Amino acid sequence: MKPAPDEAATAGKLRQQIAAQFGRSLHIRTLDTGSCAACEQEIRLLAAPHYDLHRLGFFFTPAPRHADLLLVTGPMVRAFEVAARKAYEAMPGPKVVVATGACALGGVYQADPFVHGQVGAVLPVDVWIPGCPPSPLALLHGLGVAVSRLAEKTPGLTFIAADESPGDGP
Amino acid sequence: MPLWFARGLRRGVVTTRYPASPDGSAASLPTPPAFRPRQLSRQVVDRMVAECPGRALSRRDDLLIFDAGACTTCGRCARVAPDAVTSSGEFELTATARSALVKTIPILGEGQ
Repeated sequence: MKPAPDEAATAGKLRQQIAAQFGRSLHIRTLDTGSCAACEQEIRLLAAPHYDLHRLGFFFTPAPRHADLLLVTGPMVRAFEVAARKAYEAMPGPKVVVATGACALGGVYQADPFVHGQVGAVLPVDVWIPGCPPSPLALLHGLGVAVSRLAEKTPGLTFIAADESPGDGP
Repeated sequence: MPLWFARGLRRGVVTTRYPASPDGSAASLPTPPAFRPRQLSRQVVDRMVAECPGRALSRRDDLLIFDAGACTTCGRCARVAPDAVTSSGEFELTATARSALVKTIPILGEGQ
């Protein structure tokens, strides 16, 4: 009978294999907190063949308990606050909260009494994806940034037209 | 698909790079505004701030504060001041800090 292989070494090898197989996989739960459904329309397109989210290792899941990333849309209506907290608490750690769209970021409904006006008022947001709605390409980039696979561009942007630099006088 | 599948099996990599190829639809997406500071005056900026439905624009003395996170790319500021506002062409605006989306633009123009 051959000697039993070193248990620790086998476990390490097994962990490496699992990381190689599943390490690039991430499950997304979407949460609509009063969105107009434009964001949902764009999110839905991610799974379509043209964008094919699954080639990048992202998957949608219907249960927060299976999710690594919470994709939150809408201005967070006050009636949904409890449900949003429960969904967040049901997720296993480590978890990422992504606020999606202008109203989730605090843009459109700032002064509306029926909403918090931004997702950040209720959940700890890690990544912000602007857009009204954010296009599938913007969402893909956002998910890439959320898992640290892509670099964010925003800090380098000035929103000053390319044909004019701020220092120039007339 | 069969090719992609065979390649995945051979290399042991089940995902692809991003973007796998440049997307043709990117050029036609609505994008937030970019401003021309020398075409902006306090009066023009105040008119733009009044028109902005998403409260993405505000003015602090001689600075235009633009919150790209609140912008809905509706284009009303460009309608108010077509000379001063153009399209930025940027749509991949994801940020890991909310403050990174708030930009200040100097107001360098004079007059109405």
